[in-house]
Amino acid sequence: MAKTPAVVRAERRLYDGAPPVIPHQPLGAACIACHDGDGLAVPDLGYAPPMPHAATAGMSALSHCQQCHVFQRTGERFRDNSFAGLRQDLRRGRRLYGGAPPVMPHPVFMRENCTACHAGPAAREEIRTSHPERRNCRQCHLEERLSGGFQRP
Amino acid sequence: MNRRTFLKVLGSGVPVAAFSCRDRREAERLAAGESVNPSELAWGKAPCRYCGTGCGVEVGVKDGRVMAVRGDEKSPVNRGLLCVKGYHLPAMLYGADRLLHPQRRLPDGSLERISWDQALALVADKFAHTLATGGPGEVAVYGSGQWTVFDGYAAVKWVKGGMRSNNIDPNARLCMASAVMGFMTQFGSDEPMGCYDDFEAGDDFVLWGNNMAEMHPVLFSRILERKRQKPDVRIVDVATRRTPSSQYADLYVEIRPNTDLALANAVLHLLVANGAVDRAFVRDNVVFMRGVEDLEEIGYGCYGEQAERYVFKDRGRPSSFAELEAFLADYAPARAAEICGVPEEQIRALASLYGDRGRGTVSLWCMGVNQHVRGTWMNNLITDLHLLTGKIGRPGANPFSLTGQPSACGTVREVGTLANRLPADMLVTRPEHRAKAEEIWGLEPGTIPAQPGYHAVDMFRALARGDVKTMWIQTTNPWVSLPNLHRFERRPGDGRFIVVSDIYPTPTTDVADLILPSAAWVEREGVFGNSERRSQQWEKLVEPPGEAREDAWQIIEVARRMGMGHLFPWPEDDWHEPMWEEYRRFTLGTGKDLASYAELRAARGLRWPVVDGKETPYRYAAGFDPYVKKAKGVHFYKAKAYGERAAFWLRPYQPAAEVPDEEYPFWLTTGRVLEHWHTGSMTRRVGQLHRAVPAAYAELNRADAAALGIGDGDRVRLRSRRGSLELEARVDGRGQPPRGTVFVPFFDESVRINELTLDAMDNISKEPDYKKCAVRVERA
Repeated sequence: MAKTPAVVRAERRLYDGAPPVIPHQPLGAACIACHDGDGLAVPDLGYAPPMPHAATAGMSALSHCQQCHVFQRTGERFRDNSFAGLRQDLRRGRRLYGGAPPVMPHPVFMRENCTACHAGPAAREEIRTSHPERRNCRQCHLEERLSGGFQRP
Repeated sequence: MNRRTFLKVLGSGVPVAAFSCRDRREAERLAAGESVNPSELAWGKAPCRYCGTGCGVEVGVKDGRVMAVRGDEKSPVNRGLLCVKGYHLPAMLYGADRLLHPQRRLPDGSLERISWDQALALVADKFAHTLATGGPGEVAVYGSGQWTVFDGYAAVKWVKGGMRSNNIDPNARLCMASAVMGFMTQFGSDEPMGCYDDFEAGDDFVLWGNNMAEMHPVLFSRILERKRQKPDVRIVDVATRRTPSSQYADLYVEIRPNTDLALANAVLHLLVANGAVDRAFVRDNVVFMRGVEDLEEIGYGCYGEQAERYVFKDRGRPSSFAELEAFLADYAPARAAEICGVPEEQIRALASLYGDRGRGTVSLWCMGVNQHVRGTWMNNLITDLHLLTGKIGRPGANPFSLTGQPSACGTVREVGTLANRLPADMLVTRPEHRAKAEEIWGLEPGTIPAQPGYHAVDMFRALARGDVKTMWIQTTNPWVSLPNLHRFERRPGDGRFIVVSDIYPTPTTDVADLILPSAAWVEREGVFGNSERRSQQWEKLVEPPGEAREDAWQIIEVARRMGMGHLFPWPEDDWHEPMWEEYRRFTLGTGKDLASYAELRAARGLRWPVVDGKETPYRYAAGFDPYVKKAKGVHFYKAKAYGERAAFWLRPYQPAAEVPDEEYPFWLTTGRVLEHWHTGSMTRRVGQLHRAVPAAYAELNRADAAALGIGDGDRVRLRSRRGSLELEARVDGRGQPPRGTVFVPFFDESVRINELTLDAMDNISKEPDYKKCAVRVERA
């Protein structure tokens, strides 16, 4: 029986917010050959989702994938580790009122391409958008800043 | 989670038996609908624990444990981005084998848990006994560029002001000492004039023996972003093997090992020949110097008498532009091309790049230049390129040395935890410098000895001989990282006493007589100083595990037990800020002015000199540096010995200490990989990082591998004059050495490649050359 997508997602990350490890072996191709545009269905391997990093401001996040994402060459550990990381917040984004568009429950930094995770074949059911045709997500969905509301200076 | 929801998970058909614990926890959590919003964590700021870049991270804490980090978008260093080590930082604290209690080695080799009181008394007793019987020359402290400023300051004060010994030196001697001597010999003051803002201001970036894409990935991202926005930006990679950095280079210049000296001189030759010298700049700001060049006298620090003690001292004499022209006659491009093994056109391309006045040039270097038998010379030559063309002291045009450790600058270079130094560039050999330290420390005049102590390699040679008897090692792992390791192996009953403070067991704690558990990173309060002179403060965010305590506390407590408590006259629960403010007195008014502790608390780091709360991006530069009173240009005001001008040093090419021959036909070069931090004692305990690069390997050129009948993944044996070991071959991996070169990373404690390396050193900085020795490669 297959693991749930949420479990699979968690397995590939040290904690929510850490970059996922690469879940396949090196294929001898540039990462961008598959993980671009709308992603790519690769025969015998599955669907390669597009990157969520669309033009992350000023840090050229698209240019050196293995700076953050690494292949896993063994299943072993060097030593055990008891780290228990932040887990994904599966609660929905807050709404000002019923029917209002929810605010994004996570920061946008490095996740500017919303459709990478919220639409297409890789999108998990619980976070899939009902309206993928409306590409300008941030027209209606605001980023929830964690620092609290407006205060007059 | 209660029993009913667990059964629900079972009932849903999740195959629990096939799950790891982690999977099961995750499944249980999802079934229970648990979740944490990041806003439920307390977020504090800290610099990353690993490299000298000094990325800002926000650290998320809940219930006394670090649960996450995120790149600090407010940090001007990394603007929210990290590398894979940084993203996986928090797990570094939670390896199952953290050292939790002081442990003493028993005669049968086993370890016995003892109390802190017993441990501290034992250290104090051993040091006091050695001082009483053998004198201050027989004690030693071996520290670290990963020490916080507090650890380093406590150590240097205790050793030099308390024990009246100069036997304190750090692992940074193995890492950036050549850069220190480069800046000191040319500017009379350590550390770069440029800063990371150069990455958005420069037009051309020249990497000299520096795999920046792996070693300083976040800074490399800034260069790549600059290139994305300004497509005519060029990256030049001068290297001895192809690395991930080479992929991004517009020009890849593959030189033979050690011939960077000839290459740089050939570029200087062409700059002079092509009339690219900025004559007005040179006239106003530069003096010419020349040092000892006699190879017989200089040696390599590893042959004959020098193999026990390497004390060569350079002697400079004034030189001139005319002498430079004659000197450079030896480096005509055709001849240099032959020495370096590069096409002449590449040398010309480099010369036209440095000579183009319309473009800002930034030179970057790290271990390829520093871990070099003529590393100080090579540092000098790179800076010479900038002095001759006037490309220095303005945005986008600077020589910039990158550092490997998080506080190699802040602690080692600024605090001066070196055998010959005192805080703020001061030297133990200068009476007025000792007097200033004694005054600030409230000590009797004459307390600090004038004779420099052992530099790192000689310190361990002295330990092996028995001239050093009692040593304390903190925050570093010399039994993996020293060159020519076999010569430092301990023999049972050798009469030495070695204390090691660390956070995990390592080959170094394996040989320790006493192991002390240290607090790591945000388990204590600290300050690190990064490559661009930025001091970054953080608060203690979680409790250390078990009985672990911070290194500085350990030193202070030992000093108290040795009757040296007057050195640390601050309240036991509030000593960081007063210690910082005392240290800061060394820097005020010197051009190395540090920010106040209150200013550091509030800032995302500040670059010194900090005057009136304002940081300095560009040193020596009018309009940026408050010490420069001119309206325009530069003023090298720290270079008193040269009339406040920078020194251009004439430095020749000389070969490496050991070169391949028939018996040992390959160059061995060693280094790091992106995923692991130095000797791997922290990063290997992070599953994702260990699984990415689980073991050291020998990277071979494809043609060499084919000739030897070796395929990717085969076992090979490497043999040098000093040792031999077996490991896996890697062909067409992430790096590709040229024919005749093999590369091995040094992070793996079970493949200690330093058993093979040579303890040859830079003649001026005494930094070992880990990049060049000769080996044989065989199928295992």
